[in-house]
Formats: sequence, C-alpha cells, structure tokens
Amino acid sequence: MTVVEISDLVAVWDPGTGERVPVRRDEVVDRLRAAGDARAARIVARMPVVGGVLDPVAVDRLLVRVHTELQRLNEELRMADRFAELLVPVLAAVRATGVRPRVVDVGCGLGYLVRSLAASGVLGGDVELVGVDFNRALVAEAAGLAAEERLPCSFACGDAFAPAEPAVYVSSGLLHHLPADRLAGFFQAQDRAGAPAFVHYDIAATPLAPLGAWLFHRARMREPLGRHDGVASARRAHGDGVLLSAAARAEGLEVFLFEPVRHANPCCAAMRPVVGVRPELVGAVRQGLGRRARGLVGAAA
Amino acid sequence: MTGGGVVAVAVPVVLVLLWLVDAGFAGFRAATGRNARIDKRVYHLVAAGRGLAVGAAGLGVVAVPALVALAGAADVGARYDGLVGAGVRMLQVLLPFAGLLAAALPAYWLLPMRESAFVVLVGLGPFTLVRPVVVVAAAGWAAAGSGDWLVWAVAVAAAVGVLVVEPVVHRRWYRVPVRGLRA
Repeated sequence: MTVVEISDLVAVWDPGTGERVPVRRDEVVDRLRAAGDARAARIVARMPVVGGVLDPVAVDRLLVRVHTELQRLNEELRMADRFAELLVPVLAAVRATGVRPRVVDVGCGLGYLVRSLAASGVLGGDVELVGVDFNRALVAEAAGLAAEERLPCSFACGDAFAPAEPAVYVSSGLLHHLPADRLAGFFQAQDRAGAPAFVHYDIAATPLAPLGAWLFHRARMREPLGRHDGVASARRAHGDGVLLSAAARAEGLEVFLFEPVRHANPCCAAMRPVVGVRPELVGAVRQGLGRRARGLVGAAA
Repeated sequence: MTGGGVVAVAVPVVLVLLWLVDAGFAGFRAATGRNARIDKRVYHLVAAGRGLAVGAAGLGVVAVPALVALAGAADVGARYDGLVGAGVRMLQVLLPFAGLLAAALPAYWLLPMRESAFVVLVGLGPFTLVRPVVVVAAAGWAAAGSGDWLVWAVAVAAAVGVLVVEPVVHRRWYRVPVRGLRA
C-alpha cells in the first residue's frame, strides 16, 4: 500500500505558477483512509478549514512548527557537518576551475542547512549560499531567521525541478518525497542547469529505518504530524539501486553513494547521500576527501 | 541512623542534586524544537535555568511538608532512617540510569559526527523515552520497601515533582516557536 506523508497533501503548489492550490480537507482525509492510514486521517480531520478548504494560514503555521522541530533532529544528526565533509572538497574543485562556488539547497524548508553553513563559514567566505522552497511561508521564515542572525545567505521560492543556474545542488530529506519515476527528472534538471556537482542526503532504506525513525521522532518531536511523517519518510525511502540508477540519468555527472567505510549505522534511520560530480572534477574531489574517498561507491567507483 | 551519619547526609544530598540536575535538563528539553535559530546557547541556558527554578520550587513543595511531618514524629530518628532507606532504594534505580546518561552526554559532545549521532539514536533518544518509567520505578521501589505513609507520600510526590518540570516549563514558556508565525 502507498505510504503517504501528510505534509505532501495539505500544502500544494501549482508547479507552473507557484501559486497555492486550495486543498479540501475531506479529500485529503479520504485519500489517507484509502491508503490505510487512519492515524494520518485523524490528524488531518482536526485541522481547521475555511469553507471545507484547509486554512492555508493554519497549515503554514503548523508546517513552520514541524520544521522547527525537525531542525532539532538535523542538529542532533549533525547534518551540516555531514554536508560540509563533502562540500569542502567539492567546492575546492569548483574553485580550481576559476568559478565562484554557489550552493543551492532545494526544498530547503526553514533553511537550516544553508543558515548553518553560513554561520559556521566552513565552506569559505566566497561561497554564495541559497535556499529554495516552494512554500512561501517557510521561505519567509527562513529569510527572517537569517536576517535575525545576520547570516550571509538568501532564500527564494522556486521549483526543485527547474533549477536555473549552475550551482552545487544539495538537499536533505527531499528525495523520498519524490516518486521513483520522477527522480531521474530531478537529477537531469540539475545536469541541464550545468551543476558541477550535487549532494542529496536522504534516509537510507534499511530494514530497521522505520523503527529508528519512530524512536527518534517520538523522543524529539511533539507535533503529531511531524511524528507521523517522520516514520512515513523512513518507510518510503528509496533503495540504493533506485537512487543510483535515477541519478545516473544525469549523464553529464558521475554518480556515487557516499558511505563511511567505518562506523556506518546499519540499524537506525541513518542519512546518506547520493553524490553527482562532473567527470573532470572527480579526481580533485577524491583527493580532497583523502581516505574518506573510499566511501564513494557506485557504478563509477 | 541507617549506615551511619555519612549515608544519612549523602543520600538526601545526592537525591537533591539529581533532582536539580534533572530539572535543568528538563528545562532544556522543554525548549527544544521551538527555536530555529542557529546560535541557541543563551536560549538553552535560559531554558535550563527555568527548568532549574521550577524543579527547585517543586523540591520545596515536597521537602517542606515532609520535614514538618518528620519533625512532628514521635521517633524522629527511626522515621528519618526509614526515609533514608527509601532514598537508598530510589538511588539503586536512579544512579545506574544517571550513570548511563553521564557517559552518553560527553560521548555525544566529544565523538565525531557519525558516532555522536549513533549515541543519540541508541542512547539519548531512548533514554528520553524511558525516563518517566525509570522515575516511577524508582519511586515504586522506594515505597515498596516501607510501610510508612510518609515514605509513600514523599516517593509519590517526588516522582510527580520530577516529571512535571518539563511540561510546566514547556507550557509556560515554549508552547509555540519563539519567533515568526504563531500557533
């Protein structure tokens, strides 16, 4: 049976215009019941409506709360450090070509990754850091948070499938939101945009990932929606083969999974990235990673 | 006194310290997930302070009536021994748990990123979930070894006092995110 996340259903945008699409609560509840997810249906049934349509302001407030809680999980899993581990050598390779490095986080939510990297300065002062998300409320909140702490980064509304400029594209926890048959288009769009590389972290689809996700979200999150979607995320995570074959459709890039050789976490909701690098940069990236380059595995390894 | 004067002093002191340290962490937990800023050091210190204050108040609510009841007892020494004995049983449950936490926290702070995340997944996360069970078990074990109503009352009141700190701090100060859109 299809695993569905509530957050994908209660906030919908027209990909062409970027405008919000009204969402009828009854239709979402029916869809969740049809998917056999009575708990999710109960959560949505309690959400406020205006004329049968989910109140967009209330939905946005809820999503801000959930993403704020979600940030704590990212902090505890040290996601910014994990990205930096790969991005530092990738951006060094980009710099060596004479290009000013640019990092774009697609589906950035509250922009934790971009803001955290901006705050630490670990990628260097010349890097342009941008967060992109469809949800205007999340983008506005991310921009407000960055302004409060005077962080050198920016945020914009945008479509993850329509990147406009060359950049190192990154994401965290986005891939499982995309159906398997749309993954290839996601990676190909970044290839067409001239990305020198991409680094997309998502939940590793291990057998015990749902249990680990339940435990972690139960212990750390209060919002019922966040707890539900956290486990659903682990249940719908794409397998390694699916990710590698989809990423390989970005024919201008060599693709890998990056797994640490030691201390991999086999039993819980571990995050691991699919990495794409322009062939001419692969050698420099491997050199920059040093011994950790052994963790780059895939068809091109 | 049970086990001599050292035990009679050490047991309540250790219990009080455990209570206050736990209250500080409860305040920290009450504030987590409610602030999306990157630099949250002051925010977390304030939250821990609030937890400590609420915990100290709860400690007073439990301790003062207990001391009054103790002072009014016919045999103060015997009753105090009974309380200390219950405290020892309580520590038999609490100290191993506190020891695991005391090991896990520096491990999380000091280990490299993947190992520290593993500590969260197999240690700090589950510890958060089982903490109420551990507290209730400690109170139950303490009360089970005594027939004195004062021991029972103190054990139950202590368990409640420890467990309410986090929800009180959360509801009072951190019901909604601290900036931006409000619930």
